[in-house]
Amino acid sequence: MSTDLNLVPTGGPLTKNSSWRERFGGLGGNARQYGIFAALVVIILLFQGMTGGRLLYPDNVAALINQNAYVMVLAIGMVMVIIAGHIDLSVGSVVATIGGVTAISIHDWGLSWWLAVLLALVLGAVVGAWQGFWIAYVGIPAFIVTLAGMLIFRGLALAIVSQSIPVLDPTFNGIMANSLPNFLGRLGDADILTLVIGALLILTTIWAQMRSRSALRDHNLAVEAVGVFVAKIVLAALGIGVVTWLLSRSTGGTPIALAICAVLIVAYTFIMGRTVFGRHIYAIGGNRQAARLSGVSTRSVDFWIFVNIGVLAGLTGVIVTSRLGTALAAAGNGFELDAIAACFIGGAAVTGGIGRISGAIVGALIMGVLNQGLSIMGVDPSWTQVIKGLVLLLAVAYDLVSKRRAGTQ
Amino acid sequence: MGVAQGPLLTMHGISKRFGAVEALTDVDLEVHAHEVVALIGDNAAGKSTLAKIVAGALTPDSGLIEINGEAVTIPTPAAAYNLGIATVFQDFALCENLDVTANLFLGREMHGALRRSDEEMERITREVLDRLASRIPSARTPLGSLSAGQRQSVAIARTLIGSPRIVVLDEPTASLSVGQTAEVLTHIERLREMGLGIILISHNMTDVRAVSDRIEVLRLGRNNGSFVTQHASYEEIIAAITGAPRADALRHPTGATLSAVS
Repeated sequence: MSTDLNLVPTGGPLTKNSSWRERFGGLGGNARQYGIFAALVVIILLFQGMTGGRLLYPDNVAALINQNAYVMVLAIGMVMVIIAGHIDLSVGSVVATIGGVTAISIHDWGLSWWLAVLLALVLGAVVGAWQGFWIAYVGIPAFIVTLAGMLIFRGLALAIVSQSIPVLDPTFNGIMANSLPNFLGRLGDADILTLVIGALLILTTIWAQMRSRSALRDHNLAVEAVGVFVAKIVLAALGIGVVTWLLSRSTGGTPIALAICAVLIVAYTFIMGRTVFGRHIYAIGGNRQAARLSGVSTRSVDFWIFVNIGVLAGLTGVIVTSRLGTALAAAGNGFELDAIAACFIGGAAVTGGIGRISGAIVGALIMGVLNQGLSIMGVDPSWTQVIKGLVLLLAVAYDLVSKRRAGTQ
Repeated sequence: MGVAQGPLLTMHGISKRFGAVEALTDVDLEVHAHEVVALIGDNAAGKSTLAKIVAGALTPDSGLIEINGEAVTIPTPAAAYNLGIATVFQDFALCENLDVTANLFLGREMHGALRRSDEEMERITREVLDRLASRIPSARTPLGSLSAGQRQSVAIARTLIGSPRIVVLDEPTASLSVGQTAEVLTHIERLREMGLGIILISHNMTDVRAVSDRIEVLRLGRNNGSFVTQHASYEEIIAAITGAPRADALRHPTGATLSAVS
């Protein structure tokens, strides 16, 4: 194939080989993505069996989401950084610093909860701009800048928090403790609001898929086979349906943390998949020089992805402080590694250019399910770490081997 | 369109230093519409530096650039694109992780208020690929799974996006087979017929003589001769490239590619 005179005008009909490729080309890129989803389902079912069905008790599902919200939020920012070919080691420390300032702003300055949240996000942006400046405009590798940040912001956290600062604002603590108010009441066991949200999500998914399919049709472009298309929608609807059903029977209904994560997932999937900015992040990770020569403003893209992860780290500071009801100087320890692991389990490439928001989220959930399942089974936390490490290693190894078999690099 | 009066692109007194190295010294270049100007010279003559200045990838230390008689600065590749300059770089400058459409429109994506117009871009990509009669199976193929020749045709297809007035091709045939090279040359002629001004950088004298109207020689970062292709002999050109007196140049076998000349 490499000797094809691809520019010769007498192109002729496509060979059988390439028409096969054309038909499944769209799927090929997603095959690994589906593999990660399948792995998550397998792990859930495995632990569901091993814990005698306790893993998916409605309240355990709600707890799973609350406990792992911080990884999901950070993994969203981290996967963008990794796709662009960078890394961020500082997020754990930034979470501690901003969590500390947030607690002080409520405890000492008497800020209302929403002003404190706003302050946290703004501070996150400032921290991100600080690191983004050194990376994008001075040209210091992100590894070094964020390693420095890891030290700087851990030190600042220790200095301002010293040990711990309590937060007594019930609304602020409710961000993580509470669920969306179930003002629609309950239908038997089930929280009606949760059911309504689930149903709306399913309908929106179907509508969005149909719309993008018809847009391709309008432009006379190839679309997926009907079978694949329908199967995809049915599986997505089934997934949302099961989670909705489980959560609706939990004590609180839909955790606020889930609502926050869901909004972020949808927004960032759109940014990465459908906007020019998202395209430029992938381009920079694929070939920085080519992107620059093609007119992509690589510096400003670098800068903004670090501002972005800074804001998300600020939000995580709120999440952690709210969940604990107190700010700790040691908060967020190791969060950067959780987020990075989630990205790589979710199929991001160490070399940049490859990765997805959905993959990072699934990676975070795989780690979360492992944690929760093993802890329900009463496995010692030290062994949980060992198992998580092995899963990370195996996931990336599987990725590499399947890539090699597909013949790309 | 007829013959344009003034030059499309004028570069006057262009100098560029990298530390102690003078890459370009006081270089002049003119390109008219409907004209293919071959920029040739030995290794390190400054050809690619000049191309990068036109493309906005480098800014000159001094000198004047005019497009259609208007003084311009080209601080970034995006500015070059807005001025109607399209460039195919020597090392292709493509992203292997992106598909054909994304590469064609990289840095110049069509978009609405928030959303990229992916469908529209893919439709145009298919049109462009059809026009080039390329054998790229699908506009959604990632570049990483294309052959070198196919990648080159994607790089060249980039010159058909937007409506450039000036196209810069830096060694467009360097890694291509005979058939692929012929197709690239045909494409260059097509661009000339469309009324564009083309700067062709090449080591390959056969290509240069086949397609160019004028040959500009650079030697050690300076202008070292300008020839009308029809009337220039190999000996004259090679002498200008090497800086050798003409008698010396005669010893080189005619038809050799210039890369063989040290």
